[in-house]
Amino acid sequence: MRLLPFLVLTAAVVTVDIFAAPHQRQVNAVLAPGYGDLEFIPPAPGSYRLPVLGQAADAKLVDSKGDSLTLYDLIGDKFTLLSFIYTSCSDVNGCPLASYVMSRVQRRVMTDEALKDLVRLVSFSFDPANDTPEVLEQYAGHFRKPGSDWHFVTADSADELNAMLEAYDQFVIREYDQEGNLLGSISHILRVYLIDHNREIRNIYSVSFLHPDTVINDIRTIVGRNLAEIVAGNYPGNPREE
Amino acid sequence: MKRIALLLSLLVPITLLADETCMSPYMAKIVGQEDFVYVWTLGVVGIGDEQDKLVTVSVNPNTDSYGKVIHSLSVGGRNEAHHSGFTDDRRYLWASGLDTSKIFIFDVHTDPAKPRLHKVIENFVSMSGGVVGPHTSYALPGRMMITGLSNNKDHGGQTGMVEYTNAGDYVATYWMPRDGALNGAEKSGKFAGGYGYDLRAFPRRNVMVTSSFTGWNNYMMNIGAMMASPEAMAQFGNTVVIWDLHARTPKKILDVPGAPLEIRCAWGVKNNYCFTTTALTSEIWLIYEDENLEWQSKKVADIGDASKIPLPVDISITADDKLLWVNTWNDGLTHLYDISDPHHPVQLFEDKIGEQVNMVSQSWDGQRVYFTSSLLTNWDKTESTGADLQYFKIYDFDGKKLEHKLTIDFLAEKLGYPHQMRFGAYSLYGMKAPQEVSLSSAS
Repeated sequence: MRLLPFLVLTAAVVTVDIFAAPHQRQVNAVLAPGYGDLEFIPPAPGSYRLPVLGQAADAKLVDSKGDSLTLYDLIGDKFTLLSFIYTSCSDVNGCPLASYVMSRVQRRVMTDEALKDLVRLVSFSFDPANDTPEVLEQYAGHFRKPGSDWHFVTADSADELNAMLEAYDQFVIREYDQEGNLLGSISHILRVYLIDHNREIRNIYSVSFLHPDTVINDIRTIVGRNLAEIVAGNYPGNPREE
Repeated sequence: MKRIALLLSLLVPITLLADETCMSPYMAKIVGQEDFVYVWTLGVVGIGDEQDKLVTVSVNPNTDSYGKVIHSLSVGGRNEAHHSGFTDDRRYLWASGLDTSKIFIFDVHTDPAKPRLHKVIENFVSMSGGVVGPHTSYALPGRMMITGLSNNKDHGGQTGMVEYTNAGDYVATYWMPRDGALNGAEKSGKFAGGYGYDLRAFPRRNVMVTSSFTGWNNYMMNIGAMMASPEAMAQFGNTVVIWDLHARTPKKILDVPGAPLEIRCAWGVKNNYCFTTTALTSEIWLIYEDENLEWQSKKVADIGDASKIPLPVDISITADDKLLWVNTWNDGLTHLYDISDPHHPVQLFEDKIGEQVNMVSQSWDGQRVYFTSSLLTNWDKTESTGADLQYFKIYDFDGKKLEHKLTIDFLAEKLGYPHQMRFGAYSLYGMKAPQEVSLSSAS
């Protein structure tokens, strides 16, 4: 996997205006925190609450194997990190950030005995016209480690796509040139959702907030205190949460 | 090679954007020239329809409608319209009323020239467990944090913050730390009154900063009666609170005596500091992280002559962190400070804007500065007449002086008392301006 070290290396020299509207950014400011080390010690897992932000919506999907499934099928009883991307995204602080951070979360989860069977990663493309199953599978190859529980999916129809974007408050704009021709780029606000085993949204991350350290701590917080029982299949609920 | 090609595609630079400097930084910004200023306006008895309203002013000089009110949306009553803020995707503008505690959510993306009322939150007090007077609407990812000014038990200044989803669903309430209920916070000085006002955040430092004003009993009182009452004047906040942003828990209470109001934080990635000004003592204070990563507060400058009660109100920091606009409401002056050394601000000049001046907003490039006049219904001046009493004004700024471009008299236009300004643009939503006008932001 050469991609990740390269991205880390470029973090020192490439800057992008992370505060700008996604369709109008310039290389000018700062690479997102998710590419580097966290500048602060995050609150310890379980020392804070993550109130429910709403119910995760379902959708009909197609995965990178070409198989049909629903988002609820995918979430199942897992704690799910769900990102909204498209594979040709050229904004380093957009979709690539989401996939890079998720790849770091993936590595942490895969080596964590308490979490590895509880956490699922899902990258949802909002560009099904271009992100065919084959393209998604190729894109997944840049980030997904063998054996990891990371799924790359898209909507199975335009109606499902629109419903998904509406339900997850994901504003996207297809960009055109001066003559009105589609550029292929899509402006969007980066959002990554943390969804619990009850399909409830527990956190939403954007460019400035998305970092593997905080994501992992959040997962541990909502998974609950008794990880041993969870791993044993005797999940006691979530004693720290209301 | 495929991987390298992918990487190169990730690093292609795209174009510049800009916007006013006073909002949550974690949202989209406007390219260069803004098209609209949305003015959240107090309804006033005897003025027009007497209702609070969102007034849209066309501010793109390349349009025929430049400087005109092109839309006005009344909300059906008076609520003590005060502050507003966009959601992180900038599609909705949340505008609140300090008296009724209603929050009006306007859709500003479907037609940026004609905002529409999308939703009204009417149960803010009951859902929050008693917070009154929603003030700052601050965007966080997929949700809004609303600061309160008061409570429903005694209508004093003890209050909290209330978190909502972008959809307008209540999430949680976080009470300001106070004596007897510090909630884990360190009381570093003499004060811990539990007051609230403004809010800003530093995600890279996991810090949220809140300031403190006064409760409903005072902000709805006639200003003369209030200032004549020692008891009322004792009911103002004297603190800034540093919070753990991620955990939403208070960490440290800093003394900033004299009602610290607006908070404006530096934009530079190494600049871990914010400014605030004290309404009652007329001072600029710096809230900063020291070399030991401890947050501190200290007075760094005076504003005018405190004995004349200039009453500092809104402030605005430039995008390069070098200049700070400070309005003093009582004398109608704006002051420009050089804050290149944040520990030693130096006033560069002051300029008379009107009979009274409250809010100031500037474009991201700092070349356009907008002012409005109103503070609170029962505090605003009424004795004089003319266009300098209740106004919206546009100035150009060349780096050295302000040049007045335009005034809209909100009384003559029968609109009300203009308060907070937020910028709008077609370009934010991938739209082109209608054919009858040509807007530079779409070119």
